[in-house]
Amino acid sequence: MNTPMSANIMNGPDGSAAPISRNITPNRLNAMTWLVRREFWENRAIWMLPAVIGGLLILASLFGGYNVVGAVDLPTVQAVVQAGAPDGMLMIVALFFIVMSIYSTWYLLDCLYADRKDRSILFWKSLPISDTSTVLCKLGIALIVVPLVYFAAADLTTLVVSFIVSVRASSYVGGALWHGSTWLQIQGLWLYLIVSSAIWYLPVAAWLLVVSAWAKRAVMLWSILPPLALIVAERLFFGTYEIGSLLKSRLFGYFAYAFQYTPGDANWVTTEVTAGVGHHGTITTPVNVLRFVNFDGFLASPATWIGAAVGAALIAGAIQLRIRRTEI
Amino acid sequence: MPALIEARDLTKKYGKHTALDRANFVVEPGRIVGLIGPNGAGKTSALRAILGLTTYEGQLNVLGHEPFRERTALMHDASFIADVAVLPSWLQVDQAIDFVAGVHPRFRRDRAVALLAKTNITGKRRMRELSKGMKTQVHLALTMAIDAKLLVLDEPTLGLDILARRAFYDALVNDYMDETRTILITTHQVEEIENLLTDVLFIEKGRIVLDSSLEDIATRYAAVEVAADRLDAARAQRPFYERRMLGKVVLYFEHPDHEKLAGFGEIHTPTVSDLFVAKLSGAPQ
Repeated sequence: MNTPMSANIMNGPDGSAAPISRNITPNRLNAMTWLVRREFWENRAIWMLPAVIGGLLILASLFGGYNVVGAVDLPTVQAVVQAGAPDGMLMIVALFFIVMSIYSTWYLLDCLYADRKDRSILFWKSLPISDTSTVLCKLGIALIVVPLVYFAAADLTTLVVSFIVSVRASSYVGGALWHGSTWLQIQGLWLYLIVSSAIWYLPVAAWLLVVSAWAKRAVMLWSILPPLALIVAERLFFGTYEIGSLLKSRLFGYFAYAFQYTPGDANWVTTEVTAGVGHHGTITTPVNVLRFVNFDGFLASPATWIGAAVGAALIAGAIQLRIRRTEI
Repeated sequence: MPALIEARDLTKKYGKHTALDRANFVVEPGRIVGLIGPNGAGKTSALRAILGLTTYEGQLNVLGHEPFRERTALMHDASFIADVAVLPSWLQVDQAIDFVAGVHPRFRRDRAVALLAKTNITGKRRMRELSKGMKTQVHLALTMAIDAKLLVLDEPTLGLDILARRAFYDALVNDYMDETRTILITTHQVEEIENLLTDVLFIEKGRIVLDSSLEDIATRYAAVEVAADRLDAARAQRPFYERRMLGKVVLYFEHPDHEKLAGFGEIHTPTVSDLFVAKLSGAPQ
């Protein structure tokens, strides 16, 4: 029999009986946002590294020397800087992309290894988060979140550097050197870079995760050794170099698959430069950097999708390893 | 009430080495169970299997889950402290609370904050800046704030000094334990936890050699201090272990006949640690 006291405890405010055990439905999306935050806490280099690079580029644009000082013909100076804008912006993109690739490689190799090494995996595994979520989160950090951070940093750097160059050059050429159309094209280029490189490098990233989830030590060595052994074995027993060229095209063939680069076509303009110190001859620049994008060719290439399938299989392997390997 | 943990022929092999060899045990709700055994006896393997961290053979049911396949679901209702050193060094105290609050539906943030308020640990401190004892306090606060049905502790006080160890167990018993909880604990320092245990599981070479509540131990076992002149007569009652101490001999009996033994000397219930030593080192003489 319920006394008023126990009725108070057992019943909800509306008088209905409260369930004895709340039915808990884990909110995966919510857990994922916390997993992503966790990665930012642990890996502060995700944002600090691009911030430092951007800062250095901005410093260089503030204090760097100009070759236009000796120029006598102002329209020529303007032409030089305008013609150089796409190159300059692309160089900033390239620099960020290279650093990002190196950082992501390191991150992927370390992310499932570090917490096994310091045994903190036992803390993470005491929480109701599936190993699938953990592995997919780390993959997403490397292939989507980190590129977005670098994208933002590159954008901000480009804006600030362009502004500084414009102000510094205004005393010579009396106007802004802002190249808005190229900047807009770069936005598209970045988005394409992020999506296409994520697909292209999925098997590489997945392999790094497998090593990170499996190796007891020397993750860097273990990431290189098995492929190298395969190449050597193939060479010894068959005298061929199929695996090697396959891996080479995966690692270094991304730009060949994802972009098209045909010098001399309608996408290029050549500016004649006849005056100014250090700027003799001609400058050739692209009209639209997005014309380099070979989206159709990339999507139509079997290599793209075979690689993605291999990547998916390796991800499944990394998840299984993560479930089974708790400690070193 | 169904058992909280039920293991039948639980076996774990690492290559040729058998860490768990058809172990059978049951843990009932509301108990504080000590899993006690020498190094390499299979304690950690058993806990890892229970927590879903490793594969195993045989049958294992924990809170209605098959641990290895359903670790995520299991961790809604169970929590564990593996070792005090496992909180990551870069983690700030505030971040730890935020994270667990974010991912664990049974975590009660106010409770964790209240527990930490009793200490002098501030939120911005990173784990690497904290002493081992402080880290334990943080981990315990996080774990005790989870409304779990089962708490598993694997050598939770390893490397702590006596003050920190005592504080750990006091907090566990006074602030955490109630009839809805169950604790499974392993430790080397049996003497330290025997006052709080309700049940013991002795494990040796991967097998459970004793599964008993403490009340049952009192009726099932007896230790008798025997004077030297009555030793032979006492030995005729077939003790399973004897221990020489400062001019007297203590004989240990299973299913004792108190009337007969009373004549040989003072009878008492062996402590868990004495019984552990007696059971595991005492081949029948």
